[in-house]
Order: sequence, then C-alpha cells, then structure tokens
Amino acid sequence: MNAPILTGDSITLALGGNAILESAYVDAVAGEITALVGRSGAGKTTFFKVLVGERRPTRGQVRWRGERIARPSLPLLARKGLFYHPDRPWLARHLTFVDHMALSDKRDWHQVAESLGITGWVQRKVGSLSEGELRLTELAVGFALQPAVALLDEPFRGLEPLHREQVAHALRSLAGNGVAVLYADHDVESVRRTADRLISIEGGATRLVEGFKERPLHDWYHAWPL
Amino acid sequence: MDTTGRRQRTEVQADVSVVRWLRSALFHSYLRRFVLLWIAGKIANAATASAIHLSPFAFRPGTEIVLLGFELGVIVVFIKRNNEDVLLGNLGLRLPAALAPLAMVHFVLSALLAVLAG
Repeated sequence: MNAPILTGDSITLALGGNAILESAYVDAVAGEITALVGRSGAGKTTFFKVLVGERRPTRGQVRWRGERIARPSLPLLARKGLFYHPDRPWLARHLTFVDHMALSDKRDWHQVAESLGITGWVQRKVGSLSEGELRLTELAVGFALQPAVALLDEPFRGLEPLHREQVAHALRSLAGNGVAVLYADHDVESVRRTADRLISIEGGATRLVEGFKERPLHDWYHAWPL
Repeated sequence: MDTTGRRQRTEVQADVSVVRWLRSALFHSYLRRFVLLWIAGKIANAATASAIHLSPFAFRPGTEIVLLGFELGVIVVFIKRNNEDVLLGNLGLRLPAALAPLAMVHFVLSALLAVLAG
C-alpha cells in the first residue's frame, strides 16, 4: 500500500460535553478509493470538517504526506492538492460550469465533463440545475482541478442510478490516475462495488474493515440498519 | 477523464492569479454587490453628517474604515450563507485575499466622491 497523503489521526472532538469523534483515524492513499461508512449522525461529516479545518479537534492531528498541519484550512490544503466536496451545495448559483472553470488555470475539463455526462448543461447557470445535475457539476469542477486527494462527503446522494454509475466510474478513473479518493457514504452495497478500502465509523470511533467485499454484511457491521 | 495512465500530479493544484481573479465573473458579482453596499453606506453616512452640520461626502478615515467593515461583513455573510467560501477554498483562495481588492475599491470611490463633492 502507498503511504497516505491525507491523514486524520487520533481525532477527538467533544461538543457540549458529548464526544462526536473519539480517537478516530482515517487516511487517503494515492490510487485507492477509501470509503468512510456509517449511519447518519455517526460523525462522518464532522470528521471531514475537522480534516479541512472547519472544526477544531479537541485532540489529534491532520497530516499531509506525513507532515503535521498545525492549522488546517481548505485554502491551504487545496493549494497542496485537496479537493473537498461537502454535503451542501457550494458552487455559485449565478455562474455556469464554464464560468467556474475560468476561475482556475485548468483548461482540460472537457474529458471530465464528458465522463460525468454534464456536457449538456455546462453553459447553464448552476442555480437552474436539478439536484442530480448540480451534484455532478460540483464533482466535475473538483475533478477538473486535478486534485491529488478528493475528499467527498456523500457524493452519490440524490443521484439516479445512471448518474451513480457515472460518478463511480469517475472515482475509479481518478484512483486509476493516482488520486487518493476518500468519500463518506451510508449505502453499503454501493461502497462494496466502488471502494478498495472501508473504514467504518460508529459513535465517533473508526475501524478498518478487512475483507468487506467478500464477507456478509452482518458479519462486519452488526448494527447496520438494513 | 485521463485514462491513458497515471499522471504526475504536482503539489499545487489550485492557482488563481490576481489577474484571473479580478477578471472572473465571480469577483465581478461580488464587486457589483459591494458597490451597491458602498452607495447605501454613503447615503446613510451623508444623511448623518448633514444632520450634525458636517460635509456629507468628506473623506473621514475613521468613518471610511467603519463603513468598509460593514460592507465587507455583509459580503462575507453572503458568501458563507451560499457556501461559496468552499468554492474559494477549493481554488486555494482565502477570503481576506479574495476580498482585499474591494477595500481598495471602497477607498478609491470615497476619495473620488470627496474630490468631486469638495
């Protein structure tokens, strides 16, 4: 296995006396798709917010290629090669996909747009897109930035089956090109098809699940709400 | 998507130059809102100054800084409410750096108005 690029190590976060994360660990490894899996409220989104500096952990550290980042922030990590897709819409509603790409010096976005099937609306304002179209457009903007790490919070949410398959294909293509993909999801069957590694999170604690593709679901995740 | 092989990826993904940022549709949208806020602030300030028999459009540095703080505060709230700070962040742009040109716009407009009204 390659060395991790982005690591959240021993992250503990308490809010109002409640432990949201407890010595949680996650990492993103070049060329691999890692899924952080847990039910709603398990701490997935909070963990991602800690990684990009939106939340300050009580304890623990964020590392980039092994080097501790004292005060992580999205701009800082983006300049190193991170793309962060949060669980809320984040593109400018009054701009088009093409307008967004004009913000960056990356000109090679046509292939990304084609692979995610968004070519039909690259000139439409983001605010006029459906939820599924918006999700794909957000991912296309991020992937076109050619990140070293893609940190994606529920990238499949709100997508139709065809679009889900396009996103899964895009993730595999990114990983095939050496990108470290780390995404949060709660759809275990989708994770089984897409991810190379699985880290489960429950009650703010994480654990690496070995052999999740072969083992029956109840064997490794007893508490999963089926 | 590039499927021809593993690409060499540089450490620096996002690179938004100042010129590119100033020419972007996103900055222009912030600029339009900012100018409207500047006008609103100037009207309110002129009314207050007139009431206490001061020159309505004179350039008073303390007042200008307070007005600028208000204008930037509104813009930041707008950006955060629309999660556009995530967009800027993904481009490697910090909010203060992205909005710094607006401070210059404020002082230039206010100075120009003071000269014209003077």
